[in-house]
Amino acid sequence: MTNLATKNLSENEKGEEIVSSIGMIVALVSFAMLFATLMMGFAMFRFTAPVWPPAGMVKPSLVLPGLSTFFIFLSSISFIWFEKNIANKKGLIFTIILGLAFMFTQSLLWHQLKSVGVLTSSGIYPSIIYTFTWIHAAHIVVALGFLVWLLVVVLKETNTKALLRASSVGKFWHFLGIVWFIMFLTIFVL
Amino acid sequence: MAFFEQHIHDAPTTFLSKYVISFDHKVIGKQFLWYGILFLGIGGMMALMIRWTLAFPGEPFPVVGHFLFPNTNGVVPPDTYAMLFTLHGTIMIFYAITPILIGAFGNFCIPLMIGARDMVFPTLNMLSFWLAVLSAVILLVSLFTPLGGAAGGWVSYPTLSTLIGSPGIGQTLWCLAIFVLGVSSTMGAINYIATIITLRAPGMGYFDMPLTVWGLWLTAVLNALFLPVLGAGVLLLIFDRVFGTTFFLAGAAATTGSGDPVLFQHVFWIFGHPEVYILILPAWGIVSDLLAFFSRKPAFGARATALSMTSITVLSTVVYGHHMYTTQMSPLLTQSFMMLTMTISIPSAIFFANWLGTLWKGSIRFQTPMLFSLGVVFVFGLGGLTGLYLATVSTDLYLHDTYFVVGHFHYTMAASVLLGGFAATYFWFPKMFGRMLNETLGKIHFWISMVGLNGVFMGMMIVGYAGMHRRIYNPFVYEFLQKLIPLNMFITYSAIFMGFGQLFFVANFVYSIWKGPKATQNPWEVGTLEWTIPSPAPHYNFDVIPVVKCGPHEMGNPNLNGRDFQYQTEELA
Repeated sequence: MTNLATKNLSENEKGEEIVSSIGMIVALVSFAMLFATLMMGFAMFRFTAPVWPPAGMVKPSLVLPGLSTFFIFLSSISFIWFEKNIANKKGLIFTIILGLAFMFTQSLLWHQLKSVGVLTSSGIYPSIIYTFTWIHAAHIVVALGFLVWLLVVVLKETNTKALLRASSVGKFWHFLGIVWFIMFLTIFVL
Repeated sequence: MAFFEQHIHDAPTTFLSKYVISFDHKVIGKQFLWYGILFLGIGGMMALMIRWTLAFPGEPFPVVGHFLFPNTNGVVPPDTYAMLFTLHGTIMIFYAITPILIGAFGNFCIPLMIGARDMVFPTLNMLSFWLAVLSAVILLVSLFTPLGGAAGGWVSYPTLSTLIGSPGIGQTLWCLAIFVLGVSSTMGAINYIATIITLRAPGMGYFDMPLTVWGLWLTAVLNALFLPVLGAGVLLLIFDRVFGTTFFLAGAAATTGSGDPVLFQHVFWIFGHPEVYILILPAWGIVSDLLAFFSRKPAFGARATALSMTSITVLSTVVYGHHMYTTQMSPLLTQSFMMLTMTISIPSAIFFANWLGTLWKGSIRFQTPMLFSLGVVFVFGLGGLTGLYLATVSTDLYLHDTYFVVGHFHYTMAASVLLGGFAATYFWFPKMFGRMLNETLGKIHFWISMVGLNGVFMGMMIVGYAGMHRRIYNPFVYEFLQKLIPLNMFITYSAIFMGFGQLFFVANFVYSIWKGPKATQNPWEVGTLEWTIPSPAPHYNFDVIPVVKCGPHEMGNPNLNGRDFQYQTEELA
């Protein structure tokens, strides 16, 4: 078993662990503030509009966003499985595949919206759907890059350094999953 | 090897790895210093053009006017005037003050003052600088686009900043530049926070840190929390401009659906109010330290100063509404924001009293860094007091968007921070470059700056109180403002005088880097950790990581023999 909880760390490695978690947590707080600001703007539009969605729009069907949610949920689960023992790379590969599936359902969603004539310029509700999913997807693309990089790292060696990297990338990936879940609930379901 | 000892890599040898793509916090600090001073010059020239237009409307700008504005015979045209005040604000805040105070002195001082060999994330540090360069390039390129740079004010309120108000690509590039700079500063902030938490030398508790480090740390916290808020705002503005979304478009401007221009103001000021504390906190920390060092006394109530700076940091996040009293906010909200804003004056008064307590009965040495620190005490006092009029709803409704506001925020954000930055430059120059700056030139620089900036900003407050609005190309088309022409001329002459004074600084700075007298290890006779190592600071700072045994301002202790200060590495006498 190669995982952070059971491994005996040296003084120096303990320092590395603390530093990388502080760095990642502060970074995630920053990202959270970005998404919180978007959500605040959304809340303002939502609560001041007499009817929602406004201007006679209808909400898009829940099928594609639901599939996205399902994929990203599974990907987080498989990453947790991978973190239990990073010598076993299957979990990481599943995470990457599920992340790609998430991006695929997202692009299907954009395509579907476009095909029924809902464009970015069609009012505030489509503006919110497109912009928020784009910004989130941009983060997912970056995170997928990190996941692939992590795969290269663990294929080479599975020492403490690799464990720390897995833990940092994992925090980012789970964070994006949570953000997506909040967006799914507030934009598409409620 | 304990973690805080950090690996020592070999010193870089090539020009590229030593001065360009450097991972060394000291070199990155110097890079930020040059970057900031360059933009200080550009922003200052823009300020002079604005002032010239206000004092002598319709007259060509001297010397370079005919070259810059050939179509109007050297007169600054109205659209260029709007661009000038927009970019003056943007450049001074994001490209001059932020790099100098946070980028340069944050990078340079934090590891040295806490006894570390480098930042914890050197690569992030290097990326942070080069992203800032990228952002500066984007901003400068925007000046040469067909319709010119951004011209919607540094706050870039919609609808002025939407495609209706500014159709050119300049505004889009402005948003992009600010976004990239935000990423860069957030990277820096992550680095500072992690470094200060993990790399303090053994024995150094939080209250043993110099107050400079306190100020920089609190700034980093605010940066990490609130720059992403501005990031989200400008991102939505970019989407509005490029992809046709309608977040900030309303009424006739929006073809379908409806956004809300005031939303941007909320987002901007949720970031914007912490931003003024982001700018001033490092200066407060530096001044709190320098006042103690040059009064040869322990800082009066250092712990209370640190805690009041912390409480201001917390309070600064909940007062942003006082920028928006005139946006038809409900009276209940305006009054709440007024009360919260007024609350800030309590911790401010505490640390201000501590500054005076530090000076009280000290054996003050009037060297250049001390003069600048005393200057900060004076101008920050004035700036803080005039803030009370703007925090109060009833007076703000009259003063809103007048030159009184401009004078007030220049006193706090420009004058205090600038003088604080100069104090820091004169103080740490020996440790940065291993040479001393010339004292006489420094003192001339101080007095010219002090007289000049008070002439400018005091004058601004008077014309503002008389009713002159900001951002007007030619205020004197209004009859009731024509009597203010002489006062505006006085402000402009003061500004030119102040600009002239900066030449002394530039000459002194450039000359002293190469030709100044060699600095000793501890020219100011103070005891913080950076003065226990040679000047300039060597590669990887400390041969052996120091063990801290006392606070940063243990001075004037009667038990000390032969000198009036002790190093932080010595047992308290």
